[in-house]
Amino acid sequence: MFEELLEDIAQKNGLREVNTYLKLITGLGAILLCLVSTSYIPPLFIALVLTGAILFLARVDAKTYAELFIVPIWFAVMSVAGIILISGGHDIFWRWDILPSFSLSITRESINQGMFVFFRVIGGMSAVCFISLTTPMTDIFTVFRQCRVPEIVLDLMMIIYRTIFIILDQVLQIYNAQVMRLGYSTWHESIHSFSSLCGAAFIASWNSGEDLIRAMDARCYDGKFAIMGETRPVEYIPLVALCAFLSISFTVVIFSEGITLM
Amino acid sequence: MSSIILEARDIRYRYPRGMEAIGGISFHIRRREKIALVGPNGAGKSTLLSMFNGMIRPDSGIMFFDNQPIQYDNTSLRILRKRVGFVLQNPDRQIIAPTVYQDVAFGPTNLRYTENEVKNAVTLALQQVGLDGFERRPPHHLSSGEKKRVAIAGVLAMDPDMLVFDEPTSGLDPAGSEDIMELLDELNNEGKTVIISTHDVELAYPWADRAILMLKGEILREDIPEVAFGNPEFVRKAHLSIPTLLELHMELEKRGLPLQGKKPRTVLDMMHSIEMMFENTCCHIRPGMITVCNVDQESRDYLSMWLSRQPGISVGAMGTRAKQCAENSQIRLDFTYGVIDKCILKALLGEDSLIMTTESMVQRVNQRVEAYGKESGIHITVSLLEAVIFPDNRGPGGHI
Repeated sequence: MFEELLEDIAQKNGLREVNTYLKLITGLGAILLCLVSTSYIPPLFIALVLTGAILFLARVDAKTYAELFIVPIWFAVMSVAGIILISGGHDIFWRWDILPSFSLSITRESINQGMFVFFRVIGGMSAVCFISLTTPMTDIFTVFRQCRVPEIVLDLMMIIYRTIFIILDQVLQIYNAQVMRLGYSTWHESIHSFSSLCGAAFIASWNSGEDLIRAMDARCYDGKFAIMGETRPVEYIPLVALCAFLSISFTVVIFSEGITLM
Repeated sequence: MSSIILEARDIRYRYPRGMEAIGGISFHIRRREKIALVGPNGAGKSTLLSMFNGMIRPDSGIMFFDNQPIQYDNTSLRILRKRVGFVLQNPDRQIIAPTVYQDVAFGPTNLRYTENEVKNAVTLALQQVGLDGFERRPPHHLSSGEKKRVAIAGVLAMDPDMLVFDEPTSGLDPAGSEDIMELLDELNNEGKTVIISTHDVELAYPWADRAILMLKGEILREDIPEVAFGNPEFVRKAHLSIPTLLELHMELEKRGLPLQGKKPRTVLDMMHSIEMMFENTCCHIRPGMITVCNVDQESRDYLSMWLSRQPGISVGAMGTRAKQCAENSQIRLDFTYGVIDKCILKALLGEDSLIMTTESMVQRVNQRVEAYGKESGIHITVSLLEAVIFPDNRGPGGHI
């Protein structure tokens, strides 16, 4: 089970006080630049810069950050291997005809294509990590509100956000209680324990729902949910840093056009 | 006698398909009273409390709030709930919003305050509970004591006349419990009627003006704490225990010791009774002096300087803001609860002490010490620390 959620890291990160829009533009801009680039260099550049920002500016623990990459990299390696083997080309290094109409091959073009996809994944991942590690959900709610997301959607999001942590806590307690009484010692036992965990979690969330209504009624609920009105001001240094980052990345995108690995 | 704010007349309630939770209860609560509702689990305390703000409607009988029978239509309930703040036992069930600010702002927003009014209400409420600067924290990152304070702030932001707390100290450590009880005292001092339910007798005994003992949905006894908790028969029936001080007093009396004065509510009262027995030996020490510092006016530098000139002085802080101030100025606190009594005890030992507190509580220190002086005949000097730099080294001090 997650002991420390991404949200917890985001709440304490070093860039917490920077204006939310600047952070979102950094992340989204980086993703966009990764997508428009035609070479593997810009995604690599973006990944390096953002990783540096995450590790040194936001002061996220390097190990935690690396762990975030394990699953996506594993996926990326699998699919890149597929791309390299399946997509064809002229400059063939290795070839295996399995069936008359189907063959696996490694070519210069397929390696280039594969590495390009791989670095795009890395670049995109680091941009997503940058947003999720530096911008807590609570700040994003404010942005949503300013972007005129319908209030009912927003209220639901906020209630769900709050409830996730309460129910997660309860599930964790039930899970621990089961483990302490050897609930997961055998395969058969695990199935049984897991099903009762699900049942208990359902009942717990049902009860939380009823409590929520009662708590809201007790405080004169009238269809309104308060929201933090203010965001942090746009400061000079982060703004300059953002502009520099985006313009340099953009320059890299233009100048690296068509450059391939091999 | 102050006016009655809440009255119940022969209230009965039965849970659907269940047993009778409340069986014919009548009582009244006066404005600015501190009431402790005490009883074992399942006595109907929480059910009764939920009737105060109309969450549960009694099957029969009438509840009066401010001399008006409680109406159960939506508009009247809204008005009632604005005036009766209810703090649940489990703060996790009360805190709805993703950040502290949003949660505290929930009530005021729904009361249609303007954005600025909401902001002011939130700031004030957070100040009252000592959580300024916590606005943007998500509730799941807070300790249980802090969560409790957020829950209280959420109710305070609506500026209710009456505060109802279901088990305010459950799940808190002893120091945290004392802090919350202090906060309740502070709120009561600001003019709010405070009702708590608890089974912590030791906590309720010195705090409450009146205690209501409940058992099986009925009122067993309703009286001042000395009487309500002093009857072994009732206490046993209600699955409670006699407060230690009261028990000690009773045991001493049984042994024929000539204890005078009223029954003790605090250690100070007990000390007084005991010292009265050995009248000749107690007063040979000149009592120490109590200095009161109003943290709203005093500059911190001056206070630190003053303290550095008084080595060995005991320092106590009363009230949330005073405690914060002490923390900010890195002043080590000897007392954080029951401060006045502890300082009087110190003074009786001939030692000086300083009480850091806020404007509204300064007068209370005076009253308490004066009341003690009248009762015991021992005069203890209370002086106000003033930011006038005195030329001589003796330190400042002026009688209030």
